[in-house]
Amino acid sequence: MSDESTARLEALLSDALRPIEPPEDLASRVETTLSAITEQAAAELSSWADELSDSELESLRDPRNWVRPVAAVAAGTLAGGALVIVSMRRRRRPTGFRATAGSMLRSVRTQQRGAR
Amino acid sequence: MSESGTKGTAAAETNGTPKAELDRAFEDLYRTHLRDVYSYAYYRVGNHHDAEDLTEQAFLQAYRHFDRARRESNGRPLRPWLIRIAHNLASNYHRDRSRRPTANIEAVEPPSHPHDTEQIVEGREELRLVMDRLDRLSDDRREALIMRFALDMSNREIARALGRSDGATKVLIHRAIKQLEEEMEKE
Repeated sequence: MSDESTARLEALLSDALRPIEPPEDLASRVETTLSAITEQAAAELSSWADELSDSELESLRDPRNWVRPVAAVAAGTLAGGALVIVSMRRRRRPTGFRATAGSMLRSVRTQQRGAR
Repeated sequence: MSESGTKGTAAAETNGTPKAELDRAFEDLYRTHLRDVYSYAYYRVGNHHDAEDLTEQAFLQAYRHFDRARRESNGRPLRPWLIRIAHNLASNYHRDRSRRPTANIEAVEPPSHPHDTEQIVEGREELRLVMDRLDRLSDDRREALIMRFALDMSNREIARALGRSDGATKVLIHRAIKQLEEEMEKE
């Protein structure tokens, strides 16, 4: 392939793949959507701040008032840990045929001890 | 973005950059590159409707990550980053529909402006042929040519947009043109 034919093909490609002008309303559409998102985010932020009174905001700044939230988090963590241990124990407990056989064996042994 | 869009957050800051300044920078970015993103989207999906949606999604996604992209770009142009977003969205578009464009590039809807494809193609069989052969290339080769010729991107920019090395991109474009040339000579 000669340089000439390559150059010709490149010229053809430039001609064929011309930039496409976006529709006039697209710019305003994108702009409106972005503005709406920004406004919504700002509104959410401001309503969250409004919900907290000045005294609440002030009290949040005092580390002495962090004891309750920390205790609540600790209690939650302990409760969660306990739930995990219980569920692990449940999982370890044998079920099905092996469990039934084990319980029968235990009751037979108890009866034998009683007979003696 | 409009004034109303930035007023509420003018005082806010994102990683040290005032929000209002960030919004102004983004406005510049999207005004400068709207045509690039739209052109790329149009040549990827083959119709105006989906190209508009894809362009809008690309800018929304870009807006979310703009601050970080600006910091990480170290002053380099952000066009490849924008086109990469559009590229990923277009790939998702095709993957979600499990198909290639409903219409190939040759048959895309005629754009409503003086350079429209149909006007160019009319009476110029060679152009129609090149569009047809372009559609037969592999996705990566076709995308590289769209970036080069429709968006006038440099090899380095294309490399960044496609996440390849400069060398690999140079080879990709060379092979794409060579294949196209061979296909054209078969006619």
